[in-house]
Amino acid sequence: MAVQDWTYRLNNFRGKKLIAIAFLVFVLIGIPFVIHSPYYIHLLIITGMNAILAMTFIMMLRTGLISLGIAAFWGIGAYASAALVLKAGVSYWFALPAAPIITGLIAWAIGYLVVRNPGFGFLILTSVIGMLIGLVFGNIKWLGGFTGIEYIPPPNPIQLPFLDPILFISKIPYYFLMLVLFLLVFISFRALYTSSIGRAWMAIGLNPHLAESTGVNVFRYRLIAFVIASAAAGLEGSFYAHYIGSINPNAFNIFKTIHVHIYAILGGTGFAFLGPIIGTFIMTFVPESLRIAKEIEPILTGALLILLIIFLPGGILSLFDLRHRHWQSFEGVIRIGKGIKNSPSSSEQRNEENHVKSERLK
Amino acid sequence: MLKVKGLSKNFGGLSAISELDLDIFNSEILGVIGPNGAGKTTLFNVISGFYAPTKGQVIFNEQDITGLKAHQVAQVGISRTFQVSNLFMSLSVLDNVFTCHHMSYRTSVWKRFLHTPSATEEEKSLRRSALEILEFMGLDPLKEEPAAKLTHGQQKALNICMALATHPKLLLLDEPVTGMNPVEIQTMLNLISRIRSRGITIAIVEHNMQVVMNLCDRIVVLNHGQKIAEGLHKEIVENQEVIEAYLGKDEE
Amino acid sequence: MITLIGQLIIDGIVTGLVYVILAVGLVLILSVSRIFFIAYGQFYMLGAYIVWSSLALLKVPYFMGLLMAVVATTLLGLLCYQFIFRYIQYRGSFLANIVAAIGLMMIMGQAGLLIFGTIGRSVPPVFPGILSVGKISIPVEKLVLVILTLFIAVAAFFVYEKLKLGRAMRAVSLNPEAATLQGVKTNRVYLATLGFGCALAGFGGGVMAPVYVIYPEMGSNIILSVLLVIMLGGMNSMIGAVLGGLVLGITLVFGQYFLGSMAQIFLFVVIGIIIFFRPGGLLGSAGLDI
Repeated sequence: MAVQDWTYRLNNFRGKKLIAIAFLVFVLIGIPFVIHSPYYIHLLIITGMNAILAMTFIMMLRTGLISLGIAAFWGIGAYASAALVLKAGVSYWFALPAAPIITGLIAWAIGYLVVRNPGFGFLILTSVIGMLIGLVFGNIKWLGGFTGIEYIPPPNPIQLPFLDPILFISKIPYYFLMLVLFLLVFISFRALYTSSIGRAWMAIGLNPHLAESTGVNVFRYRLIAFVIASAAAGLEGSFYAHYIGSINPNAFNIFKTIHVHIYAILGGTGFAFLGPIIGTFIMTFVPESLRIAKEIEPILTGALLILLIIFLPGGILSLFDLRHRHWQSFEGVIRIGKGIKNSPSSSEQRNEENHVKSERLK
Repeated sequence: MLKVKGLSKNFGGLSAISELDLDIFNSEILGVIGPNGAGKTTLFNVISGFYAPTKGQVIFNEQDITGLKAHQVAQVGISRTFQVSNLFMSLSVLDNVFTCHHMSYRTSVWKRFLHTPSATEEEKSLRRSALEILEFMGLDPLKEEPAAKLTHGQQKALNICMALATHPKLLLLDEPVTGMNPVEIQTMLNLISRIRSRGITIAIVEHNMQVVMNLCDRIVVLNHGQKIAEGLHKEIVENQEVIEAYLGKDEE
Repeated sequence: MITLIGQLIIDGIVTGLVYVILAVGLVLILSVSRIFFIAYGQFYMLGAYIVWSSLALLKVPYFMGLLMAVVATTLLGLLCYQFIFRYIQYRGSFLANIVAAIGLMMIMGQAGLLIFGTIGRSVPPVFPGILSVGKISIPVEKLVLVILTLFIAVAAFFVYEKLKLGRAMRAVSLNPEAATLQGVKTNRVYLATLGFGCALAGFGGGVMAPVYVIYPEMGSNIILSVLLVIMLGGMNSMIGAVLGGLVLGITLVFGQYFLGSMAQIFLFVVIGIIIFFRPGGLLGSAGLDI
């Protein structure tokens, strides 16, 4: 969804985009009946999971927050859900909504401290969190320590009025659950982006000083983005825990977060939904189909990343939409302070500070 | 309307403003002039909440707003423009102004999230309000243009539109006519008078003396962060200190 | 007890000095070229492995190996700037720099793993023997580490403060546009900065190789701690990097002794709290603007 589309396409939600989306959903629902290989269903599920995480990365990126801690909140959701089901004995269907709430609360507490330092500070602090979380979970014996939690039960069967209950044994019920969760996240994210909240985020992302001067509480809105993104990651973590069946602190590290970044960037960060989806899809399916050996996969991915960032910074989708080729949309977000365009008040401030500093240079 | 008492602002060892007292009265147009580096923009930055003062107070309509953050100051009713055009470059002109209406939402956040009919109605009416402001300033033919494509003068006018979007009681204009040709300047002068006739108090930092003399009711002169003169045109023009500040002392 | 504390402090300083060298180099790269150079740890690993290879396989003297390590990492750093970062440097985009650095990190990390294998290596002892002062003992090789590190640190400061290049670097770190107006060729400065910074990383790796075990993940492991050090000491401050590195080293050693594996968490939490109260680090200016 292009940046400008948010504002005046509100009425067009009933337009052709809706039809395209409905068609896609229809196709997705039909897939398990056509493709019978559990392996490909598994890949699709994985794609869905990582696409959600990539979407949360973009939500934060749009407000100027580059988070290296996404995997941490993913992990918190996973552990919260597993703990609730295994230790408190609740049904999965209670744990599933509880996980994002718990994650969101923790994210609120952490974010309150961390969002204060936007830019570099946020980057480093979230990377600290990313590192820390593995250690924290590893040291909590009650949660399984460094071996993690195993034998996490699948979701409880869903009782339907006239049909047989849905058992989570084969991959197919998981597929549909992932589809439902994905749509949930997609719809709520879209609703946010097209509302005044999303507009405030956009303003913050484009020009935080200007946004501030028009009455937008930049800190509060960034915090909101952070919390919502983290809660979504937590939701996804809950699904992950009960799908894979076991969780391990080593899985929730910074390299996972970096992979999430890659999915989003490959697709194109100018696109809040299509970008992450396409990027995740490519990164999940292409290495598999090309049978790329595990040994050289990071090298190829790294090289891909570098080539991408030099030649195609807007991601793959920028090939189709020239507007986003040069990340114009994010002047305010990812400008280094002394980049080409400065916001005026910061340049004045810097002039004053430079005046003082130049005394020291001599 | 606005009182500044004993204001000081230091940056490291550099004193940008010291012990400044200033009043801005209702419905007036106040001119703030002075040589470069006198602290005029710093003054605006402090009033509008971008810097916290080192010492002193800022009082707006009996309310102490010292140290409030920029968005809070905007919510209180003070709005400003910047010396360098500060716009949302990749958005259209209309979107720029519309985005600045953020403060005016009355429906609850939940309703906006769920896109209820009342929320959608409010969006439409805020859009209309943005269009009205553009029409008031004469920019509405350009409303779909990306802000980056505007001429310098148009961008300055857009800046003012955006400042007006927050329905301020006090408008701080930082060098509104700098870099404009005489035709544009005249247009801008008319616009500023019309803004005043809408009941908005205005303070202008400007270097263009003609503009200041024609437009402003009162003038304040700053130099080295201090107020060296205050009053009507004639008093300022004949003030010895002011002349010295701009032209330097005589050798004799 | 005093002996114990003294011993721990000495060990802490030795550990800390490695962080110091790396932190100083990274601060340089960070504040001058604004690259969030997360691949930095890999250059450290490279330096260590080159020393190991030259000592264990080529059988050259230690200082020769150290020299080779530094030369190799410097060259690689220069090449990386020339062929990768040069193209994105002038976009002013934070994210682009980070992404490129991440890509580089992945390539170098995996390449290191493939070339040097997965087992940890130990360099054959170069400086055997232990020096004892009173009841505190320090292996000679650690002493050599200390001396070499101090020497290089002083050299780095010298370049930064006195030489024309250093002044150019400082100018660019404050305001690249103004520096250009003053006749500084920013491209050359960025090139030199990355080269010099990577030289320091290679030196750090080469210097620690005789003392500690080297393993492929050492690059990824150390970069995060170095980032913490920098955050602690201030992102634009070299002295902060020195102090931060020493503080980290000492705290780690003490923490390891008294708290065991909880030490790391304890450390991160403490540093997190410090950073919260002083976002610019203890000595820094208030970080980069966004």
